[in-house]
This record gives sequence, structure tokens and C-alpha cells, in this order.
Amino acid sequence: MSESLTEPGAGYGFFFDQSLCTGCKACQVACKDKHDLPVGVTWRRVVEYTGGSWQVDGATATPNVFTYYTSVACNHCDNPLCVQVCPTTAMTRREDGTVYVDTSKCVGCRYCEWACPYSAPQFNSTTGHMSKCDLCYDERAQGHTPACVAACPSRALHWGPIDQLHADHGDTVGIAPLPDPSLTRPHLVITPHRDAQRWDAGTGQIANPEEI
Amino acid sequence: MNTAELPMVLFTVIAQMCVGMFWVLGVVDLVLSRTRARAEVDRLTEPVVYAIGPVLVVGLVISTFHMNDVTHAVNVLRHIGSSWLSREIWSGLGFAALGLVWAVLAWWRLGSYLLRRVVAALAALVGLCLVWSMSMIYYSLVAVPAWHTAIVPVHFLSTTVLLGSLAVAACLMVTALVRRRARETMGSAAADDAPQRTSFMDRVRAKAMAVNAPASDEEWTATTAVVRRVMVAALCAGVLVLVSYPVHIANLATGNATAVRSAEAFTGAFFVVRLVVLAVAAVLITVVSYQVAGSARRERPQLLAIWVSAAFVLAVVGELMGRALHYESMFRVGI
Repeated sequence: MSESLTEPGAGYGFFFDQSLCTGCKACQVACKDKHDLPVGVTWRRVVEYTGGSWQVDGATATPNVFTYYTSVACNHCDNPLCVQVCPTTAMTRREDGTVYVDTSKCVGCRYCEWACPYSAPQFNSTTGHMSKCDLCYDERAQGHTPACVAACPSRALHWGPIDQLHADHGDTVGIAPLPDPSLTRPHLVITPHRDAQRWDAGTGQIANPEEI
Repeated sequence: MNTAELPMVLFTVIAQMCVGMFWVLGVVDLVLSRTRARAEVDRLTEPVVYAIGPVLVVGLVISTFHMNDVTHAVNVLRHIGSSWLSREIWSGLGFAALGLVWAVLAWWRLGSYLLRRVVAALAALVGLCLVWSMSMIYYSLVAVPAWHTAIVPVHFLSTTVLLGSLAVAACLMVTALVRRRARETMGSAAADDAPQRTSFMDRVRAKAMAVNAPASDEEWTATTAVVRRVMVAALCAGVLVLVSYPVHIANLATGNATAVRSAEAFTGAFFVVRLVVLAVAAVLITVVSYQVAGSARRERPQLLAIWVSAAFVLAVVGELMGRALHYESMFRVGI
């Protein structure tokens, strides 16, 4: 690639096509492998959201259920709560809009972990510091695609400047189980699954809490 | 309970108690100074103020166990413009530093009386900033329903007043017991009669003797009057917490799924014991202590000391349990 993938002011983010995702978790594994993350630290996670009930018509009860997947890492938010609450300024926003942990400053107090409704900052007990997705800054600096995006066999994951993602894919992001997008204004755009529920519908539950 | 939260449980409760003690002593000083001699008021309040310092230092040391890389600790001062956690550390250190300045000025009677009062007022104000910052650390987390609520500052300020009041009362009783023993061992010889000392340690010893010199009837009357009033303050703070829980739980139970999950922290035996301990300490024993203080005599302070100490110890246990529940109720919206 000739163009810079770490352009100042770009405000990079992710696009996720929920209608294509099969929940295979190749993105999750690619991320874990690329960054050599220890057990318990999983920057990109695939959440299974499920719910439903029955429609009763006379003597017939027809199941009406749904399950869909959402692949989530850090959304490099417009309003990053992790950066605001960090007492050390270790949680830093790069000029290109992505957020990373400056481990030379971090004290491992885990306050950012409490603040982020996407569980993006995660504690690495080996180092005693926080860690998180930096949208594969090292890969991008060399003109490569982030590992998770490159790994997706369904082509459900993409990334780019958030304005470009909005222009190409719209601005839907308030899909359960993700939180109210107004909390952090995530740099994320979703093409919803046909059964996708609104963030505040409360109609389902996370089926794989131990995996995320 | 998650042991990782233990340093925060201990630090927040200890620091709030220290700020509360300083406030209560400030109010005692202001009120008593209107009717009593300055020396008499100082003799009542000073020994108690000196108890705050070591306790606060212990609290601050405990707080460092919350960090996983202490070698970077100084960085927590960097983000005062945005992070309430930075503001908490700044105000905690400020409160400790101003308290130390005041203690040195007061011990050696340095500077004017007005200067000492200004330093004390500043320390009290920075103490308020400390308790407020602590509250905002939790309140500002908009994704945590159990914390993003006015209940957090209400509970933290209640802990400050409750434990501050009862700690002052307990310290006053310890002072009374020490001075009673001094009466038995020294007779009524006042420290003022001690010969002039010159070396530093001699001066410290002379000062300590003056502080521990037997109490007069007047001083004992003032002590019991203060104990009665701080019991009323503790009672009010305790009742406020007891009343606030149903409101807090109702708010959570009628909220979103995450809030409902948080409300479940306030069920079960641990919560019931917390409520009972608080009620016994802050309602039952404060009323008993109020009554006992009304008739307690200087020669026999033991009964009052036992009641006041029981209220203090139980209140500390209750507040530690309450703070543990505060952390137990942490559930975040989203994933």
C-alpha cells in the first residue's frame, strides 16, 4: 500500500457486518496470536447474543428465537472514558485517533477497566499494566491491515477513517449487547443482523459470558 | 469479597474517617472557643488531632497496594485536569501535608493563632475536596448504574461524619483515661510546674506531660458535652445511611438489567449483618452513650469509655462492610 495507514486526524475505527459473521472467532484468535496475549487477556472478543420466546396460535406454539454474533475490540471512541479517567495519562490517544496504553506510565490501577463499557482495556497480570487494542499500530505503520480484519474469512470486519466508514455503511452502532453509543461515541459502524436488537431492548442475553 | 478491592475498602473508609475527625474537631474548636479559654479548648482537641496523622498515613500506604506497578506511582499525579483519581491523590496528599503543617505549628505554638486557624480551615477544605473526589471517582463512571448515582456522595459523606464523630468521641475517652491515670500517678502536679527543659527530646517530653496532665472538672464537663453532641451527629449520619438503602435498592431494581443485577448485591446475610451492625452502633449505642455521658463522673469514665469505644469499633466494622458492598455492586452496562 502506498497511502499512510496512520494518518493524523483520520479517527480510525472498525466496520462490522453482523449479517455476515458466523461466530468463528478467527478475528479473536488472530488478535491473540499477533499480540501474543496471555490467558485472560482477549482484546478482540466475539459475543453471542441470544433470546426469544414462543408465538402461540391456538394449539400451536411456534418458537421465535434469535442468536447473532458481535465481534468487538476497542472502538477508539470519540469520547474515550478510559483516557478521561486514567490518572497517569498512560491511556493515550494517537494523532490518528487510536487509543493505546503507554506502559511506561501505567500503574495498573485498573480504573480504565471499570470505565469502559466495551471491556477494551484489560489487565495483564504478567506485566502489572493495562493492555488494549491499538488497531495494530505496528502493522499499519508498515502499510499492513490489522490482524483481525485480515483474518476474517467472511469479510465481516473492515477498518478505516470513521468518516469514510459512515459514508460507506451508515451510522448504526446501537445494537445489543453493546451499550448506549452516546456514552462513548464509538468509532464503530455495524450492518445489523436481521434479528439484531436495539441496545436498550433488553430482549436477550449474552450466551458466552465466560468467553468474553 | 474480592480481595483486590481490600486496599480501596480500607483506604476510603480510613481517609474519610480522618477527614471527618478533622471537621468534627474544627466545629468543636469553633463552638467551645466562644465560651471557654483558648488553652482549655486546645487541651481538649489537640491530642485527638495528633491521632489523625498516623492513621491517615497508614491509609495512604494501604492505598498504594491497589496499584500493580508501584514504581510508576508518581504518574498518578499527572492527570488532575481530567481524572478524579488524580484529584483524589492530590487532595489526599494536600490534606496530609496541611495537617502536618498545622500539627507542627500547634505543637510548638509557632505562628499566630490566626495563622494556625487559617491552616486548619484550609486542611478542612482540602479534606472536603478529598471526600468529594472519592465520590466522583465512582459517580463519574456513567456505565456503572450502582455508582452513577447521588447515593455515592451521600454514603461517603455519611461515613465521614459517622466515623469522624465516633472516632473523636473514642479519642476523647482515651484522653480522659490517660489523664485519669496521670492523676493517680502524678497527683495534681500540673506540667506547667515542670522545670525548664532545653534539649529537643526534653521539650517533647514536657509537651507530652502537659497534654497528659490530669483533667479538671471543667475539662471533664466539656468532654462529656462534646461526646453528647458528636453522638447526635453520628446518629443523624447513621440514620441517613439506613434510610438511603431502600431508595438506592429501589432505584436499581427498577432500572436496566445491569442495575437489577447490582441490586442483588444488597440482599443476603452479609447485607443484613451490615444493616444490624450500623443500626446498633449508630442508633442504639449512640443513644445509650448520650445518656451515660449526661451523668458520667470524671473519676469514673470507664463505663462511658466502653460504650463510646463499642460504638466506634462497631461503626468501623459496619462501614467496612458497607464499602465492601459498594464494590460488590459494581456491574457495568455493555459487555
